[in-house]
Amino acid sequence: MAEKSFNAFEMAQAQFDQIADLLDLENGTRKFLRTPMREFSFTIPVHMDNGEVEVFQGFRIQHNDSRGPSKGGIRFHPQETIDTVRALSMWMSWKCAVVEIPLGGSKGGVICDPHNLSAREQEQICRGWVRAMVRNVGPAADVPAPDVMTNAQHMLWMLDEYESIQGSKNPGFITGKPVGMGGSLGRTEATGYGVIFTLREALKELGLRPDNTLASVQGFGNVAIYAIQLYTQMGGKVICVSCWDQKEQVSYAYRKADGIDLDELKGITDRFGGIDKTKAASLGYDVLPGDEWIEQDVDVLIPAALENQVNGETIKKASNRVKIIAEGANGPTTPEADEIIKDRGIFVIPDFLANAGGVTCSYFEQVQSNMNYFWEKDEVLGKLDIKMTAAFQAVLEMSKKKKLYMRDAAYVIAINRVAQASKDRGWV
Amino acid sequence: MPKQKRKVDSLIDALQERAKELNCLYQVEEILINSDISIDEVFEGIIKAIPTGYQYPDICQAKITFEGNEYQPAGFSETSWAQFADIKMHDNTVGLIGVYYTKEMPTGDKGPFLKEEAKLIQTIADRIGHYILHQHLKDVVENGETAKQDISTKRLGDWKVAVDLLHSTDLDLFRRISRHMMNYLCWNGVQEAEEILQQLGQNTDTSQHTKEDGGNRPSQKRAMDNTSELGFKIFDIASKHIPDDEILECIQRWMLEDKLNFLIRTVINLDSTLPDISDALRRFAHLSKKEMELSDSNEKGVKVALVRRLISDQLDFIKIAKDYIKIHDFYNLFPQLIYPPNSHGLLGGKSAGLFLASRILKIDDDPSPNLRDIKIPKTWHVTSDGLHTFLHHNNLQDVTEQKYKEIGIVRQEYPHVVQLFKNSYFTQEIIQGLSMALDDFGEVPLIVRSSSLLEDRLGSAFSGKYTSLFLANQGSKHERVEALCDAIAEVYASTFGPDPIEYRAERDLIDFHEQMAIMIQEVVGKTVGNYFFPAFAGVVFSNNEFRWSSRIKREDGLIRLVAGLGTRAVDRLSDDYAILIAPGKPDLRVNTTADEAIRYAPHMMDVINLETNTFDTIEINQLLREFGDELPYIDQMVSVVDGDMLRLKSRLNIDFENDELVVNFEGLISKTSFTAQVKEIIDVLQKAMGVPVDIEFASDGKHFYLLQCRPQGHSSDVVAMPIPKDIPENAIVFNANRYVSNGRVPDITNIVYVDPQKYSEIDSAEGMMEIGRAVGKLNKQLPKRQFILLGPGRWGSRGDIKLGVDVTYSDISNTAMLIEIARKRGNYVPDLSFGTHFFQDLVESSIRYLPLYPDDDDIIFNEFFLTHSKNLLPDILPKYAHLSDVLRVIDVPGNTSGKILKVFMNADLDEAVGILTLPTGTSETFTTDQGLVQESDTGDHWRWRSRMSEVIAKQLGVKDYGVVAFYIFGSTKNGTAGAGSDIDILLHFNGSKEQRKDLLNWLEGWSICLDEINYLRTGYRSGALLDVHLVTDEDITNRSSYAVKIGAITDAAKQLPMK
Repeated sequence: MAEKSFNAFEMAQAQFDQIADLLDLENGTRKFLRTPMREFSFTIPVHMDNGEVEVFQGFRIQHNDSRGPSKGGIRFHPQETIDTVRALSMWMSWKCAVVEIPLGGSKGGVICDPHNLSAREQEQICRGWVRAMVRNVGPAADVPAPDVMTNAQHMLWMLDEYESIQGSKNPGFITGKPVGMGGSLGRTEATGYGVIFTLREALKELGLRPDNTLASVQGFGNVAIYAIQLYTQMGGKVICVSCWDQKEQVSYAYRKADGIDLDELKGITDRFGGIDKTKAASLGYDVLPGDEWIEQDVDVLIPAALENQVNGETIKKASNRVKIIAEGANGPTTPEADEIIKDRGIFVIPDFLANAGGVTCSYFEQVQSNMNYFWEKDEVLGKLDIKMTAAFQAVLEMSKKKKLYMRDAAYVIAINRVAQASKDRGWV
Repeated sequence: MPKQKRKVDSLIDALQERAKELNCLYQVEEILINSDISIDEVFEGIIKAIPTGYQYPDICQAKITFEGNEYQPAGFSETSWAQFADIKMHDNTVGLIGVYYTKEMPTGDKGPFLKEEAKLIQTIADRIGHYILHQHLKDVVENGETAKQDISTKRLGDWKVAVDLLHSTDLDLFRRISRHMMNYLCWNGVQEAEEILQQLGQNTDTSQHTKEDGGNRPSQKRAMDNTSELGFKIFDIASKHIPDDEILECIQRWMLEDKLNFLIRTVINLDSTLPDISDALRRFAHLSKKEMELSDSNEKGVKVALVRRLISDQLDFIKIAKDYIKIHDFYNLFPQLIYPPNSHGLLGGKSAGLFLASRILKIDDDPSPNLRDIKIPKTWHVTSDGLHTFLHHNNLQDVTEQKYKEIGIVRQEYPHVVQLFKNSYFTQEIIQGLSMALDDFGEVPLIVRSSSLLEDRLGSAFSGKYTSLFLANQGSKHERVEALCDAIAEVYASTFGPDPIEYRAERDLIDFHEQMAIMIQEVVGKTVGNYFFPAFAGVVFSNNEFRWSSRIKREDGLIRLVAGLGTRAVDRLSDDYAILIAPGKPDLRVNTTADEAIRYAPHMMDVINLETNTFDTIEINQLLREFGDELPYIDQMVSVVDGDMLRLKSRLNIDFENDELVVNFEGLISKTSFTAQVKEIIDVLQKAMGVPVDIEFASDGKHFYLLQCRPQGHSSDVVAMPIPKDIPENAIVFNANRYVSNGRVPDITNIVYVDPQKYSEIDSAEGMMEIGRAVGKLNKQLPKRQFILLGPGRWGSRGDIKLGVDVTYSDISNTAMLIEIARKRGNYVPDLSFGTHFFQDLVESSIRYLPLYPDDDDIIFNEFFLTHSKNLLPDILPKYAHLSDVLRVIDVPGNTSGKILKVFMNADLDEAVGILTLPTGTSETFTTDQGLVQESDTGDHWRWRSRMSEVIAKQLGVKDYGVVAFYIFGSTKNGTAGAGSDIDILLHFNGSKEQRKDLLNWLEGWSICLDEINYLRTGYRSGALLDVHLVTDEDITNRSSYAVKIGAITDAAKQLPMK
């Protein structure tokens, strides 16, 4: 029964195996990379508000640190399974490798439901986690970050506990901190801009000038908004965005043939990326059913909302004009759709390359924190451009040289880099 | 209409003239109440005040003659244009007031004087008479005290002097006092006294005559020896056994008690009116600042009588009230009462609840530290007989028969009744009272609330059935009085509205003689820009029926908190949220991430617009951008969004133009004693009242104002359902005994069941997500609120799909109930989510939540029914047929020969049960601990609809409109139609285009007509009651469109016979 059920780690391993086959990795390396290097499991006793003691289960999985200190989030989740965390730590290794930042992959968390905990109790859990892990984490060993149900506040509690124990200031111990407390500027823009940096390179590759292209975007959250901003700055024209209507519980697409006005739309958008339908209509936008975003006659599709939006059915409705799909969201394309995309010769910028701007910026936060010298936003975004462009070019080159689908090429590059570092160190 | 207008004008003019007199009376009253000034000063003051009440104050002079002294202004001279009134004490004239005009003036009612002025001077004379009497009585008391001091300190004189004096001046009193003394001696076991008593036949030894007389024959009355001799003898005996000091003290105490007897007589006498009681209370208060002069038993008697006369005659209420309310509280209450002359009215439920709560919390008195800054807004009351007087005054008595009319007629006539009331007049006394109230309030916004005698009574929740109106109360006095009268008339009219009448009819209260008191309350708040609103307001419940964590206990309570007026906290909101707090566990928040907190924050607030005199709903953010800096409490109200964190900032540090602000009251919850205070309030109230309570409150940012208090359950739409007993086990689908909240989910026709075991066996994330998508599709297809969702673990869990089906609120928005199943895995049972991922959406749309623990002892979980009933998924969603193993859709009636599922939930017992039973409207009942569960409230709606459908079908034939067959489906067919349900009809049509047009026209006529009938019956109006679906031969062949309903697997359409 257990073997039959869904297991994220098995899935991550299968994905790895597939690439390992492509790379023709030798057995030892395969074995080594298929499993995390270190797994920590420990208890965190907490004096609860009512005086009772509750014991929480904490853990940290360091998948691979051959390329540098490992990095990965800490999640608070009521029924976390070790296999999920193993899978996530492995993906972190690949993610850091694909953009070539000198970090490894890890992930961790605590089994708890913050809905059942007061802020004070959560603080105790954070501090307890650090006390248990202090010898095995640190700016030069393993750097935690926020994840599901944790935020900057949790990071600051953890940082404070770590610094108290160390007796020194180590802002580079953790990322996801607020600006002014060791956080980096440019984080809000990073993912959306990253998507467009790679898109720009893809356009170049296809010999297209941005100002001659049209795009349709799914989603109107942070990623989508900054992607649209930069794309428009480059001269491109977004003619359609779709988003979720909270009131009606359906999604709508908003279209303006001569290009949407980002600021105008932002002015009528709630915090969750919901555009006011009535106001949009009065501003002259065509209000269409949400899934029509993909049917627009454009050169570029940017799915920047949910997973599985580009699937076997929807991709069939995409216009013949579409040349590039830039995956701003995580996992927006299903394997079924991938096959059709390949057939039609559409160029895909795979999610874990296209949206790697976020992790890159976290790395920059770490770097700045370690120096205790913080850059201006322009500097952060400039460096991000360089990183993303280089990463894209490497994947592209691999794809062209070895005639690989872009998605496969990205994985090949990532896994290859981790494997190489492990070999270079003489581990395998 | 113009005629009426003039009438109102002259009324108001007269009223303004009267305001002068009232003012004068006020001044006189002020002077008389001031106990620090001498009698000379009193009269000097009054002669100055009197002229202000007259038509020509400049040439008016007053003179008082009293006990040979004359009080007159400088330069006074008597003229012949004069008016007089005697000052009387005990019916003896002791003085005279004279009012003189110094010049001849035009003739009024009597000489130059108005008849109202005659009344005025008489009133003043009467008041002075009372005052002098009080002063005398007070002197007697004070003299007595001095005498006592003299005796005990200087040993001069003797109590005998007092007794002699008593004997010679007031023989009756002498006798009463000596009787007291005799009883006192007997009580103390003085033999001689007992002998005397025996002689008098008043022996306390009753055993003897019980034997002789058999006990139930009246004992014979023997003439009391009334001679004074006996009295003196008793005092002689007393002098032998009791020290002199004690005798004197006793005499003094009894004399005082005797003097206070008037109060007891007045309040106990059913004939005495509220003005009588008011006078008696005032006298009593003047006589004694404290209540120690009344014996305990007397005091209790007076209190109970006062409670019964003014507050409530319900025994439950009196029992509690007498322990908390003091006589003095009534004295304080009276000045804010408005009542007709000869009033016998009451304050009504709402006022009663608030009055009692304020006494329990000892507001203004001696509260515990947490309760120290609690206040009650300034409140005036119009007693319940005000309504009767109003009806009588305007000859509207026949309106009271409204309630016996058919509900449709009531509804039709109601707008007319409202207008009729608004164009009627109040009596002079009431208008005067309202005018005084407005002077007292000043130009602050008011709320006029009903305080019906039926309202807030145990078992009848009238909440929201009667009108409450906000008044900006701005402008001239004239306008304000008019607006207030208008509002009261409207509230009065609401007594005769269709909703309360229907509600009363349903609860057998229709014959109750409805009386409605009015509560006029100052709205708590501050003026900001053009708006007026409190800093925050809300409701608190002793019992938390919406727990979002297993750590929250029911008795931790629940606060629904909003910015601005509390109206948004009282009602469920369809498009906005209130902040939910469990005061017993304030640190366990519903929303833990910034995203959640922002999504579920209140975005709108209710305010009073002082400029337009209207009640407005405005966007909070807009208000804060403009006025945030002016709100001193802003840092308690909002947090500033900073990335993925919410930060508390002081007002100085908030940039109101650019910061993103979230109303979450974090500062209030974490930095103030608010939640502790609220918890203490409801705990104290619950303890005193013996039942869980709910309160309404508001705060101006400084003080906590209590606005209402009543037993919980009266208000909430979630009542504990009796759990049916003796249900055969095979009729139970599931039961539960952990974390159960209150409620009932009736008439479930479909169950959507996600098999926990099968779900856990799905081997891909994609496969699990597909289940979520299928549930979302079912949500759109199945009849709204007639299906429930049952599935493993945490619905809508983020982060790990294995823990539960991946849905958002939109995927489950139409379910009646969300059930999470926690099956044991090995030796551990997983935590459930309590719906936290969309908890507040569930609350606002009243979707019930229930956790199930099938592996617990004593739990029935009918897995066989759930897994072996026919699965309709392939028929409803052929595209998702491959999920049939995991996702099951069960048509309950189809699998149980017409039964439906009902879920009963009772938090008191912590029990819930889902039962297969016949639909509502059929006569099946269950036995419960509390008797029979009646199931008749909605039965009528579907029967009527079904009958009308048959009538329509009977009139149709192929010849007329090309209709081949006539079907009904949905709620009408299923017997689950509610008051607002439409009638789904399905017509198999194969006629021509013209026929189609004609048919639709013909049906539209029916539809509008039926809608009107339904409106008259229920108050629901939709514009068209028929939901017509036409299908063609082609549809039926292809099974497209609604043709699938014909012979469908679930909710199949039922064919009706045609012409």
